[in-house]
Amino acid sequence: MSDTSLVRLAGVSKGFVKGKDAITIFERLDLAIPQGDFVAVMGPSGSGKSTLLNLLGGIDRPDSGEIHIAGSRIDTLSEGQLSQWRAATIGFVFQFYNLMPMLTAAQNVELPLLLTRLGKAERRTHVETALKIVNLADRAKHYPREMSGGQQQRVAIARAIVSDPELLLCDEPTGDLDRASADEILGMLTILNRDLGKTIVMVTHDPAAARYASRTLHLDKGHFEEKELAA
Amino acid sequence: MNDFLLVRKNLFRKKLRAILMIVSILIAFAIFGVLAAFERAFNAGEDVSEADRLVVVNKINFTQPLPIAYFNRIAAVEGVRQVTFANWFGGYYQDPKNFVIVMAVEPETYLKVTGTDFAFTPEMTQAFVRNRTGTLVGRALAEKWGWKVGDRIPISSSIFSQKNGTHTWDVTIVGIFDKNKPQADTNLMFIQYPYFDETRSFGKDTIGWLVLKTASSAVNDQVIKTIDQMFANSSWETATDTEKAFNKAFVAQLGNIALIVTLVVGAAFVTILMIVGNTMVMAIRERTREIAVLKTLGFSGARVLRLVLGETLLLAVIGGTLGLGLATLATLLMRQSLSMFVPGLRMSPEIVLTAVGFMILLGLATGLVPALNAFRLKIVEAMGRG
Amino acid sequence: MLKQIVAVTAINLKSIPRRFWLSLSTVVAVALVVMVLLSFLAMSAGFRRTLASSGAADVAIVLRAGARAELNSVIARDQVRLLEDAPGVARDAQGKPLASAELYLVVDGIKKTTGTKANLPLRGIGESGAAIRKGIRLTEGRMFAPGSNEVVVGKSLLREFQGFELGRTVKFGTALWTVVGVFEADGSVFESEIWADLPVVQSLFNRPNTFQILRARLSGPDGLAAMKAFNDGDPRLKLDVKSEQDYFSEQSSQTSDLIQKLGWPLAIAMAFGAMAGALNTMYSSVASRSVEIATLRAIGFGGFPAFVGTLVESLLLAGIGGVIGAVATWLIFDGFSASTLGASFTQVVFSFRLTPALIGQGVALALIVGLIGGLLPAIRAARMPIVQGLQG
Repeated sequence: MSDTSLVRLAGVSKGFVKGKDAITIFERLDLAIPQGDFVAVMGPSGSGKSTLLNLLGGIDRPDSGEIHIAGSRIDTLSEGQLSQWRAATIGFVFQFYNLMPMLTAAQNVELPLLLTRLGKAERRTHVETALKIVNLADRAKHYPREMSGGQQQRVAIARAIVSDPELLLCDEPTGDLDRASADEILGMLTILNRDLGKTIVMVTHDPAAARYASRTLHLDKGHFEEKELAA
Repeated sequence: MNDFLLVRKNLFRKKLRAILMIVSILIAFAIFGVLAAFERAFNAGEDVSEADRLVVVNKINFTQPLPIAYFNRIAAVEGVRQVTFANWFGGYYQDPKNFVIVMAVEPETYLKVTGTDFAFTPEMTQAFVRNRTGTLVGRALAEKWGWKVGDRIPISSSIFSQKNGTHTWDVTIVGIFDKNKPQADTNLMFIQYPYFDETRSFGKDTIGWLVLKTASSAVNDQVIKTIDQMFANSSWETATDTEKAFNKAFVAQLGNIALIVTLVVGAAFVTILMIVGNTMVMAIRERTREIAVLKTLGFSGARVLRLVLGETLLLAVIGGTLGLGLATLATLLMRQSLSMFVPGLRMSPEIVLTAVGFMILLGLATGLVPALNAFRLKIVEAMGRG
Repeated sequence: MLKQIVAVTAINLKSIPRRFWLSLSTVVAVALVVMVLLSFLAMSAGFRRTLASSGAADVAIVLRAGARAELNSVIARDQVRLLEDAPGVARDAQGKPLASAELYLVVDGIKKTTGTKANLPLRGIGESGAAIRKGIRLTEGRMFAPGSNEVVVGKSLLREFQGFELGRTVKFGTALWTVVGVFEADGSVFESEIWADLPVVQSLFNRPNTFQILRARLSGPDGLAAMKAFNDGDPRLKLDVKSEQDYFSEQSSQTSDLIQKLGWPLAIAMAFGAMAGALNTMYSSVASRSVEIATLRAIGFGGFPAFVGTLVESLLLAGIGGVIGAVATWLIFDGFSASTLGASFTQVVFSFRLTPALIGQGVALALIVGLIGGLLPAIRAARMPIVQGLQG
């Protein structure tokens, strides 16, 4: 495998027990995603899309196999180490935005910076930059309830990129949005990928969304089926 | 923004709920503050007492008299630095309902022995010693009746009468004294024992009790033993004790005040512990998803635990501080009207410190379960992403 | 409408287990409030009953003017003689006046529960001292023999203080006394006393010819007035003559009022705390049932049933708390024996008494907490916009 891979899964197995049945999701799965890639992961419900994202984000652990991301082997890290690693390396974007309702847009974006050593002034600059990137500089003082779904998701993206992580993990980022808002969000992700060089893994079941990615992985019964798309 | 802001925003996201919790904490601390102030006031005698002061009373009971001759005999005991005596007068002013604490005291020595409690100036000491019908009145008592130095006041006794049949003695105020210790109470007055003894119709040459100062508290036991043995098997046996032990035993006669205070405060705290504890568990449960998001962003379990504990601590400190404030106000308001019954009612630094301790304990106790829940929360399960 | 109310209320009550811990905390909070209130009221009632049963209307008590308490009073021998023959004083079959001049002294005893010194009353009584009082009955032993240093003790005193068992010797000063009898006195304050023969007390306590009070059985309803008139008319007397009943009720009111004045504000303050808890519980209840309430409203139920249902839930929780509090107080404190310093500077032993009327007051307080705690959430339930509720 190439050393330029940002993400590398080797022989990863994962299953869970439901009642009396042991259900296998992945069996000895291998995957490599190079630095700067924009990958869409598609597949039917229960195919393991979300589990894959959880494993990549270090919020779930494989039963066996190795996961290397940005030079760290994360499947052997402790919970505390994982937290630190996540704060530094991963940016999450969720389907339902998951903003803190009692915080303003700027404060929501600032949240991950509390985990860094940055001072107050530096944090403010970072937040302003991130909000500018998502075109929401004028909404800094607004609360989530005062914003549309698309705007909230842009805040969530700003939150995901504010600490300058190498890998963005997006879980159905447009699943709760209308077409226009969805296109806006996807355009933004493209820019992040192309101009800022962010590696993005996006789970979606919307083919229109997947078209924004440089390639799509189809996950079915724990196996990948790659389809290269024209950029 | 910092963690404190996050904690504050979390606490007040449901304003009504936060306010209701603060109110219940406030009340528990107000109850604690007032009752603790009462208890301290009841035990003020113990606080005012000094380690090298002993009290000698009749062994049968302290209301029984002792012969005046004991004054000189005890003064001669080795280890006794200074001795004085007093007699309870059973005083009232104008109407038996207007109970006044009056003590007939040996003028010269009494002011010396109690000089650390009260601020007797040299002038008033001299005036009191020289003037047979003079009286020294405490500031609080003087203010209560509007008495001034030079006033001639009739003080009646519900126990004694004069040889001419009257129950009333006329005395002239030669000084109004303040206190030297915050716990001391100036709701009392002193008259001259010689004047009282010569004029009363019965009980001549007997005294109520003696107070003495030892050379040092180290010889207390020796002095106590010597005095009690000296009078053993006489018709007036004595019981000598430290002033502190004597005052403590006296307060204990009212009933187990400390126990009542403990029970009531305990009940109040158990109540808020249940209310606040359960409400916080519920509040954190409602926020399960948000906590999962925080953890996804990279907040560690320990940090999330601290955020939740910070919230309950903040709650306890706000409610507790307001409650203590209310208690302070209440004691100030009650101070005047209850001055006869519980003199020296006040919010002492010790009570405040104890309350702060309770706030921290309460904050930790109510936050423990929800904080641990948040700490243990698994992101995958919480987000329904299993 | 009634059907609707019943249906909604049933849904409310069935959903309580979902909020088990929160509901329980309301119940416990209310129970503790009621316990605090009732224990103070029971203490106050017990103390008042002890003193109330001490005073007889047909016994007069004579004290030095302005003395207010037996301990402070002093009466001269001549005054005693005059009063014994006063009009209004009843006489026995032999024509002797039913009057008892008494000496009231304080002696030290040790309280069993705390091991601390306590003031106990030692009363030197005259020949007819026991006969004047109502309901005096020896439960053990016999009466002291005149002229001997023997004592009889009240059964409350025996229960609360060390070393007064029948046959024991007690030492007051240098004198030794033997306990020869135990008496009861209708639960009155006399049961907290030690009685001995007056002349013996006078001599052993160095109080020759000293008297403090005189008690006399009155000859009839006009007896007191006759005695008073006689007293006021003789310049050698000028004493305070009152019925024993009045004397004790004056004393009881001070202490029992004080206990009540402590108990009610404490209970009310705590009730506010519990009310905050109840409000919280009920708001949560309404919030957690918002979908159900909105669904019912959407299919045609009115707002009033939602209001009643919420209020009933709140009243039920508080009511259960009130009953638990009352039962717990009754189990723990009813009959609980305690003692405090009475007006005569001596220990008065009394038992906590939880009467049905007091229990009523406790439960009423609980229901008030439930009513107020449920009212605002009930209004919210009734006014909840259907659409918003359906969204959960």
